[in-house]
Formats: sequence, C-alpha cells, structure tokens
Amino acid sequence: MESAEPNKFVVGLWDHEEVYLHAIAHIRAKGIAIYESLTPFPVHGLENALGYRETRLHTAGFIFGATGTTLALTFMTWVMTYNYPLNVGGKPYWPLPSFIPITFELTVLFSAWGMTLTYLVRNRLWPGRVPRIFDKRTTDDRFALVFDAEKLSDDELNAIRSICKTEGAVEVKDKVFAENEGL
Amino acid sequence: MKETFEFTDKIKKNLFYMMGIGLLGMILVFFAYPHNQHGRFWSNILACTYYFTGIGLFGMFAVSAGQIAYGSWQTLEKRIFLSLSAFARIGGFMLALILILGVLGVHNLYEHVNHIIHSPVNPETTTKIIYFAPAFWIGRVLVYASLWAGASIVLNNFFARTDQTDPKVYKRSKLLCAAFIVIFAVSESAISWDMLMSLDTGWYSTLFGWYNFASYGCAAWAMTILLVLFLKSQGYLERVNENHIHDLGKLLFGFSIFWSYLWFDQFMLQWFANIPEETSFWVERFGTGYFKFTIFLALAINFAFPLLVLIKRGAKRNFKLIGFGAALLILGHYVDFFNYTFVESGWEKSVVAAKKKEALEATENAPLFAKLEKGEKMEAKMEGKTAEKSEMKAEGKSEKAEGAKGEKAEAEEAEVPESNLSGIGIGELMIFTGFLGVFLFMFFNNLAKRPIIPENDPYLKENERLEVVYS
Repeated sequence: MESAEPNKFVVGLWDHEEVYLHAIAHIRAKGIAIYESLTPFPVHGLENALGYRETRLHTAGFIFGATGTTLALTFMTWVMTYNYPLNVGGKPYWPLPSFIPITFELTVLFSAWGMTLTYLVRNRLWPGRVPRIFDKRTTDDRFALVFDAEKLSDDELNAIRSICKTEGAVEVKDKVFAENEGL
Repeated sequence: MKETFEFTDKIKKNLFYMMGIGLLGMILVFFAYPHNQHGRFWSNILACTYYFTGIGLFGMFAVSAGQIAYGSWQTLEKRIFLSLSAFARIGGFMLALILILGVLGVHNLYEHVNHIIHSPVNPETTTKIIYFAPAFWIGRVLVYASLWAGASIVLNNFFARTDQTDPKVYKRSKLLCAAFIVIFAVSESAISWDMLMSLDTGWYSTLFGWYNFASYGCAAWAMTILLVLFLKSQGYLERVNENHIHDLGKLLFGFSIFWSYLWFDQFMLQWFANIPEETSFWVERFGTGYFKFTIFLALAINFAFPLLVLIKRGAKRNFKLIGFGAALLILGHYVDFFNYTFVESGWEKSVVAAKKKEALEATENAPLFAKLEKGEKMEAKMEGKTAEKSEMKAEGKSEKAEGAKGEKAEAEEAEVPESNLSGIGIGELMIFTGFLGVFLFMFFNNLAKRPIIPENDPYLKENERLEVVYS
C-alpha cells in the first residue's frame, strides 16, 4: 500500500478562489489527473469542480447510528424486561416510550463518534502522524493543486507546468518527499 | 418568461369545483351525522379552518424571520409566502364565529367550557372561569383575527412597495417584520389554547403552542413546495431551480423532525407523570381503535416518512419525490389536527365514556391507563389523607362524563353504533378539499395582483445564485 504512494509531485499555487476554480475546470477538461487540492478555507463548488463522488461517510454514520439504536434497545429490554423486571410507577415491564430518549442519545453518540473516527482513520489523521506538507502557505492564502509526477515524462510535466501558468498560477514548483515520509 | 401570475378561468373553474365538492361534503356530513348537535360537521369546520389559518400565518412568519435575519434564501418565494397569508385574513374571524356559535349553543364542541362557566365556583376552575368568560374569550380571538388580517394586508402592501429599491424602505421592513413576529408568537400560542386545548378543558400541555407552530411549519413549507412546483409547471418562476426546492425541502424535513420531537415529548411526559387530567386525553385516543390508528398514521406520515425518505440529498432535489412528500405531509398534518379536534367534539363521547367505564371495571385485561387509574383509586382509599383529593378528582371525572352525555346524547346513546361515528371518511376528505379550494382561490387571487418575483429586492441577485452544496 505505502510503496504505491507517489513521492514526486508538481505543485501549482493560485492566489484567488475564482481563478483557481476556473483553472481546475480547464485542467480537468484537458484530461490531466489532479492528485490533491489544498485550500485555506472551504471553497464552494470545489467538489463539483474536482468531480468528486458523493461522500460515503453518511452511510457509515447510518450504520453506526443503527448499531447504537439496536444496542440501546436490546440492552434496556434485557435489563428491564428479562433480567431485573421492576415495577416503576405501574408502567409495563417493557416501557418503550421511556426507552426512546436514551435510544436517541445512544444513536447520536454512536453515529457521531463513529463518523468522526471513520473520518480520521480514512484521512490518516491519527496521533503522532507527520503529514506531508506540499506548501505551508495553503493554510494562509494560497490555493494549491498537486499533480502526481511519479510516472509522467518530462514533456508531460512541462505541459502541466505551462498550463498552470497560463491558467493564472502565481507559482509552480516541484516537491519531492523522501520514501515513506509522512505516510 | 411570464412574470405576473394570470388567474385563468380554467384554474378558477377547477377551484370552484373543489369548493363545490366541499359544500357537498358539508351537506353530506351535516345531515348524515346529526348526533350531538351535528358534532362531526362542526369538528370538520373547526379542524379545516384552524389548519389553513395556521398555514397562512406561517407564510407571513417565514418572510418575517428571513427578513430580520438578513436572509436571502426566501427572496424568490417571498410573494408566495405572503400570498399564503390571504386565507388568514378571514380564517381568524371564522374561528371567532365558531366560538360565538359554541357559546350560543349551536354546537357542543366547547361544551366543557360552557359547563365550567355555568358551574358554581370551586378552586379547580376559578381561573378557568375568568379565562373562559365569553366576552374575554371571544374578544381575544377577535383581537388576534384583526391583527392577522391587518398584518397580512400591511405586509403584502409593504413588500409590494419594496419592489422599488429604496434602502430606507428595506430597513423599515425589519421593524415591521419584528413587530409581526411578536404578534405571531403570542397569538399563535394563544389561539392554540383557545381553540384546540379548550376542547378538553381538563387537559393541558405547556408545549402546545410550540407543537402547533411545528405543525403549521411543516404544512406551510409543504404547501409552498407544492405551489412553487405548480407555478413552475405553468411556466412561471423559471429562476427557481432545484437549489431553492432543496432549501425548502430541508426546512420541511427539519420541521418534521421538530414536530416529532414535540409530539413525543408531549406524550412521554404525560404518560410518565400519569396525572389524571392529562392522561384522560390519551385514554380517549388510545381507548378507541380508530384513533389509535390515526395517531399512528399521523406519526408514520409526519415522522417516519420524512426521516426515511426525505433525508437524502437526492430526494430533496427530485421534484417528483419532494412534491409527493409535500402532498403527503399536508395530509398527514391534517390527520394530526383531526386527532386533536374530533375526539372532543362529543359525537362519540358517549361511546368513549362507556368504554372507559368498561375498562375500569375489568381489572385483568384493562389497558394500561385504565389500570393505573383504578390503582390510584384503590390507593386513595387505603390512604386516608389523599383520599379526599382523589375522590374530588374522580367526582370531577364522573361529572365530566355526565356532562359529555348530555340530555340529547343520552337518548341516542343506546342505538348509536360506534363504527359509524368516528374516522376520516369521504365527508372529511370532501370538506378538506373544499377548504383547500377556498385557500388556493384566495392565494391565487392575491398572487395575481403583482409580479411573482420581487424584481428590485436587494437580495434577489444573491438568491438567484443560491447553491446548496452540503447535505
């Protein structure tokens, strides 16, 4: 898995959101694959411009939530109905309405934690990891497009560089990481 | 591109057909169910008037809230929201008329209240005698009705003027909208107590105003979605695209969940606390098979359906699916108001009372609530001090039951079959259609007066470029 990750990149930097979005559309129209896109803030319409699929995170959220619902209901049913039946204020031994708030809470808890952890694991954001930084200014005022340069010939790389320039990039640079650095 | 809605004869004719169906339904229900002073007929009128007035009020609220919050999302649909309020101009007065007729004894929807007003003063009803003194009671409703009618006319005219761009006018609209929100907050809660909660004067729920607000909300968003889709199909509102519908759909979904939250809170707290005057409301509903069905039907339509179907982004952007959902939710919230209005109307109170008595007598197979009531009585007998109190409550209950039977109902009680008296039948649907016809007629009539899109609204450009990226 890790050896498949590329280590050589071409990074183009833009300084304006609108120009950046147009550049993405034009570059993608030319059939050039974009490896990564980094922006200092969430840009509206970026997913559409990059052609990302709809996230599957909410499916994970549903599964986690359903787990929470089932767990809460089965546990409370087991306790209140089978294991230690108590008569609370004359309510039935399976008092479903009084289970619902707790079921709701557990559903929310499970889906929230599950989605957060799934997100972090999927994006490899576990503690102690040193991430690959393509350009520090992407947290400040630069919009970066990263291209995978591992398997491309020099001609193709030059073509990418010139397209970035014509599309309004303020800077185009190469970035090479050491093997397995920040993975 | 068509700018101003043209109220064509064809639409008018269809609406008149709908009103005709409604009138036919009224006649049918009036003569087919003469029990308890035509209780079923009056329940129908009350439920429909209340429901559509609420939708109209919420239309004004939607505009006001957006306006105060510097919102731009509602600009294209602003005229539609404002036109929804056309029915609120007469709705309030119709509600007041229903009250007046109730006090005069034409129908017995508010029989309990009459009973309290004319009963000798006792500590349990002192405040209620003051609150439901006919002059104060009807006067209040008339005040709300005039405020609504005034607000609807003023807001419609005012926003017609903001078509000419003038920042000062726009600023003043904030003051006007803030004033309306204050009026709405008070009158919307109060009308729910005066019209619906007072149907059972023993029952109270402190979140009932909220609850009604949520119901109006769902119905009004659903109605707006349907009307926008209809206008789009007729060639108007070309600038409204799936992003705007998506926004409305999100509000519809959110309010549905809000409604479910309030429904459940109201139910669970009363179920748990088990105070007799609160639980009696649910005993009446869960005690008869039909209302058990409609309560779960309302929950299924208003909670389960949005939760499972409308949660998806794709569902809210699909015109057919969201249109179907909106139509279903409009019906679902009618069923909800049906649950609140009809049991209390008296046309099957005798049946409910008999059932209750029966349930109290049977200890082994009694439903939960009845069992508890029975248990409480027994406890009260055992404990000397509390005995007096619960005996008083029990007396109050039996008084109520007697009052419910009334003189006329008593004679009929024996031969009235249960199955004929409850439920959403063809008559209910016909009357609902009729009211919908009146509502839509007033809506289109108001909409046709000026261009649908407020061309010079400062937020129009922003709204046209609306793009719902997330969720």
